[in-house]
Parts: sequence; C-alpha cells; structure tokens
Amino acid sequence: MSRVWRRNRHWLTPVLFLLPGLILFGSVILAASIETVWISLHDWDGIGAKTWVGLANYVELADDPQFYVSLKNNIIWLLIFMLAPPIGLALALIVNQQIRGMRILKSLFFVPLVLATVTVGVVFGWVYDPNFGLLQLLFGAFGGTAPALLSDETFVTFAVAAAGLWPQIAFCMILFLAGLNSLNDDLIAAGRVDGARGWRMLRHVVLPQLSQVGFIAIAVTVIGALRSFDMIAVMTSGGPYGSSTVLAYQMYQESIFSYRFGYGAAIATVLFVIMIVFIAWYLNGLIKAERSNA
Amino acid sequence: MTTDFSAFTTTRRRFLKGTGAALAASATGLCLPALAQAQEITIISNLSNVEQRQILQRLASEYEAKSGAKIVINNMDHEAHKTAIRSYLVVGAPDICFWFSGNRMKAFVTKGLFDDISDLFAKENYKSVLGATTSAVTVGGKHYGLPMGGLLWGLFYRKDVFAEHNWTPPKTWNDFLAFGEAAKSATMIPISMGTKELWPAGGWFDHMNLRINGLDKHIALMDGKVPYTDPMLTPVFDKWNDLIKGGFFSPNHSSFGWEQAGAALAQKKAAMMDLGGFVRSAFPEADLPQLAYAPFPEIVPGVARYEDFSVNSIHVPANAKNKQGARDFLAFFYKPENLGAFLAAEGAIPPRNDCPPSKDPLVNAAVEELKKVVGTSQYYDRDTDPDMAQEGMAGLQEFMVKPERREQILKRLDKTRKRIFG
Repeated sequence: MSRVWRRNRHWLTPVLFLLPGLILFGSVILAASIETVWISLHDWDGIGAKTWVGLANYVELADDPQFYVSLKNNIIWLLIFMLAPPIGLALALIVNQQIRGMRILKSLFFVPLVLATVTVGVVFGWVYDPNFGLLQLLFGAFGGTAPALLSDETFVTFAVAAAGLWPQIAFCMILFLAGLNSLNDDLIAAGRVDGARGWRMLRHVVLPQLSQVGFIAIAVTVIGALRSFDMIAVMTSGGPYGSSTVLAYQMYQESIFSYRFGYGAAIATVLFVIMIVFIAWYLNGLIKAERSNA
Repeated sequence: MTTDFSAFTTTRRRFLKGTGAALAASATGLCLPALAQAQEITIISNLSNVEQRQILQRLASEYEAKSGAKIVINNMDHEAHKTAIRSYLVVGAPDICFWFSGNRMKAFVTKGLFDDISDLFAKENYKSVLGATTSAVTVGGKHYGLPMGGLLWGLFYRKDVFAEHNWTPPKTWNDFLAFGEAAKSATMIPISMGTKELWPAGGWFDHMNLRINGLDKHIALMDGKVPYTDPMLTPVFDKWNDLIKGGFFSPNHSSFGWEQAGAALAQKKAAMMDLGGFVRSAFPEADLPQLAYAPFPEIVPGVARYEDFSVNSIHVPANAKNKQGARDFLAFFYKPENLGAFLAAEGAIPPRNDCPPSKDPLVNAAVEELKKVVGTSQYYDRDTDPDMAQEGMAGLQEFMVKPERREQILKRLDKTRKRIFG
C-alpha cells in the first residue's frame, strides 16, 4: 500500500485534492448546464415524459413579446448598475479620509451589504408604496402626489433596479476601500515630491493602481445585473402585467408557474450565452493580470 | 527544525486520513435509517392560518393517543407549497397532503400521482353526506381526495357604512352603477381591489362572465373551447371598461395585494370588495360583526345565478408509503366534529352536511346563499390550465390598467389558448 502510494503520490495527491471540487463543479454547474440545453430542446412539464421539439422553443421565443420586454429590462439593469463602480469609488475616497467619525460613516455605508437582498426589496417596496410610502410623504410635503412607481410599466424597472443598486454600491465601495489600503506609499510620496496634489494625484498616481480592483468591480457588477432576480420577485413579481420581468425571472415564471420547463430552459440558455460573453471577458482579464503579476 | 516540520506533515496527513475515514463512515451511515418506523403517517400542510395549524396538531395528537401511530406534520408556506408539490409527489411523497380540488387536482390525477380513495368513500359512506361536492374530487367515477372547506366568492361590505349612507347592496347592473357614483360622491373607492398577485382580476372577470354568458359558456372558455376573441366576450369587456373609465376600482391597484385592499375596506376607505370569506382576516376582531356578504349583481336579466365556489381538498399521494395509515387518519380527521372545528377556524363552508352549525354568521349566510346558487365554477386559476391562467390573469390585469389595449391583449391571450389547447 505505502509503496504504491509513494510511487504515485506525485500525481495522486493533486488529483485527490482537486477531486471534491471537480465533482461538485462537474455535477452542479457543468452537468446542470448541459442538461438545461438538452431540456430546452424538449416540451416538458416537469413531471411527465419529455417530447423532442428541436428548436421550436427558440423559434417561439423569437416571436414572444415578453422575451423582448425581459431583454430590454436586462439592458436597463445593466446600465443602471454601471453607476455602482464610480459611485462606490467616490464613496470609498470620501470615507477613506482620516477624520473623526469616519468609521461610523463607513459602517453606515456598509449596512446594505449586510442586509439580505429580500429585505432590501421589501424595504424599498414600502418606500415606493403610493399610499403610505416614504416617497409619498416626501412628495406630500411639497403638496404633490408621488407616482406609483411599482405599478407604472415605464418606471417600474428603473425603480427596482435602483433598489438593487444600493447594496451593489456598498459592495463596490468595499472593493475600492480594500484597494486604497494596499496603495504603494512610495509612489504617493514620490508623486508628492514632484508636486502632484488633489485631482492630478488621484488621476495619475492613485487611479492607475486601482485599475485591477476597478476591473473586478465592473465585472462583478455586470454579472450581478444580469442575474438579478430576487429583487424583482419580492418587489413586483414581474408585474404589472410582466413589464418588470428580466430573463432570469421570466425563466422562473415559465418553468414554475406555467409548468413549461422546456421553454424556461430555452430562456436560461439564451441568458447563459449572454453571460458567457462577459464571463469570458472577466476570466481573460483575470488571467492576464495573474500573468503580469507573476 | 526539520523534525518539527516533518511532524507537522505527518499530522496533516493523519488529519486527511482521519477526515476521509469520517466521510466514508458518514456516507455508509446514511443508509442505516432506511429501516422505517412501523407505523408513521407523514402530512404536508400548506395552512397559513395559525389556529388551523393548531387544530390539526391537536387532532393528530388525539389520533396518536388513540391508535398508537406516530404522526409527523410538516408545514409549508402556502405559495411555496404550490411549486414544491410537483416535486414531492414524484420523489419523497408524504402520506397525506393538502391541495385544491377540481382541475388542479385533475392535473395530478391524470399523471397518476394521487391515490384512488374510492374504497374509503364507500367504507365511510361519504357520498351521502357530501352530496354535489363529491364531483369536485371525482375523475372518471373514481374519488381521488376529500373535499375540505369551500369559499363562496362575492361582494363584501360594512353594514355600518351602508347604513350611514342609506345604501343597499346593488341587485342589478343599473343599481351597481348608481351605487358606484354614490360611493364616489361620498369620497370612497366603490370597489377595493389589489391585483399585485393577479388573481383578483381573474375573479372579477369570472363574475362578470358568469352573469353575462352563464356557466356553460364560461366553462367552455376555461376549457379552451371558445377563443378569447369571441364576440360573446364583447359585452363583458365593454361593461368592465365602463367601470374602469368610471373610476370604480382602487387607483394603482397593481402595486398592492388583497390584504391592503381588504384593509381599505375595513378602514372605510372603500365601499365594497370582491373576495371570499377570508376577507375577515383583514378586519380587526371588534369590526367583524359589521362585515356582510352580498352576491355579485345581476347583469343580464334571466341568466341563472352561478357563482365561483372554490373547494380545497386533501389527498393521499400515489407514492405514499403508508396508504392504509393515511386512510385511517383521514377517516378520523373527517369526522363531522373534527372537520367542523378545523374549518370553523378558516371561516370556510364545510362540505359535509352533518357538521355542527357554525357560530360564524358569515359562514351561515354563505351556506344559505349557496342554496340559491344554480351552478358553480371554482375560480379562474383553478378552472383553466395553469399556463393559460398565468397569461390570462396578467392580461386581465393589463386590461384594468390600460383598457385601450384590449384588442391586442385578447389576441395575445388567444394565441396562448391555441398553443395550450391546440
């Protein structure tokens, strides 16, 4: 036993260490993804037998007005979420100052990250409530009536995405704060000697050192925007009449409420294809960064 | 130094070996509890009413003491249960589960997931006490569940508000239109409605269609035999449009659910509300005596009185492990005194005619009303295919917000109908 082990351990050890991760990744991510694509080629209610329909689900999807609503909303989410990295950076720069009381401010900005997304959704749902919400109180103070954001088909996605933006900003802020803490003091001192201050210091000395973190913040935000689901489920259930659904929510609705797992899987596959573009870009950036560091 | 280091590596190796052994042991250990309990009955309940859950628990303990069997009750969230049942009926079925009779039950019966309990029906002679309700749990002459409490849908109002304004519940369509104007001039919302969960819009459609086209045509539509673009629906949407344009419904109704709409009724901000007896849960205890029921007004004279009457049900899954135990417990649970106590907590109408009379005047009123009803459907999302119901209710909600899109909504719904019913 021990001789076999000794002879083979140079390759057995890494294999054994990798195995749990590989099994988990293989079964939960890879196999599930492949099965999703397979299911998307069938008509299936989730219980009974699957019927092969080829690309019919995709053909129907191309002709489904709801699909284009979801796609449009995904783009709105993406654009709104793009505000998170710059705002997060600005907040990080502010709370990074050595001023008394900054720690409290820092933890206050950190709060939304601690809350569950569902909680954030419920809280914002109340804020937007046309009868007793904070927004109505605000408008009421000026003698106006707040628009019922969550029942207006034009504004609803913006309102929900804005709620999702709140924790995302906090997340980006944390990333940038960590980046600010690992700045190279020598470079800053050298910049100071050369007379760089304020904006020029930020633009030419600090920001270049944060480019790695900025890249991660943007990539994570893009993926976060595309997989948005819980906020919509809690705040609107995709309503009014489906005008706030995104692809992930439509997939859930088709599979779970309408019992159309094949159609839902087709939506999931489309979402996957969109995501893979961003993920590939993200991984490519990560690998590049690792190479340049090595 | 070197010895220290090697000592560390051996402990790490030993640690890994130990962990591996522990994992292997736990993996084999998993197979052990398969030696099942001799007599265990598992129940999955979807009850959201705390009082009802307590009564179920009490009945279970009484049965345990009587029979020696062990009863395990798993409570699930009502909405989450609707999706979970599809998987647990296939893998890991309990011995008893709660569900909805009619079409929703039939969907599982045709897939062979509910057990035929006709033997229990015959043994306990349920047909004689259930009467017409039996049909709600019957498919092809076989019985697949026991009907539970029924909900009679209609318009609810506050007696004190009506007395104060000298109103009477509207009987005809013209009465109803006049009542709406009166309510508006008293700065009240005529009909409180919250459509965030979509179904209240479906219910309103049911009631108008039943009053205009009658039960047979309504069911034909639910079964996908009549297109949504059929001219028979024109008067339904014309009249509904009049109400929407006339400001009869709560503003921004798509941003809240029935609970908030019910609160508006309780707080005298709205005059009436279309719901089942469970509207009582939106009322404070002290205000309950003010709550009263009125049937949906007549629209086309001469159309017989048909109502939405939805019946919940309880079933034995086909994959249950202890089918005999489940039947024995159901026989105990379904005794008139036990069932009566269980349903009284919900304000539902008992399906058995030998249950003790209810102390709740609303339930008794509903029982009396039900005697005048000629035929019943269940509810939009219980009568039609679930896929159709989802699209249909969203479409009806859209119509209530944007009535000018009527043509395109109905065309879209008919496209869905053709896809589903072929």
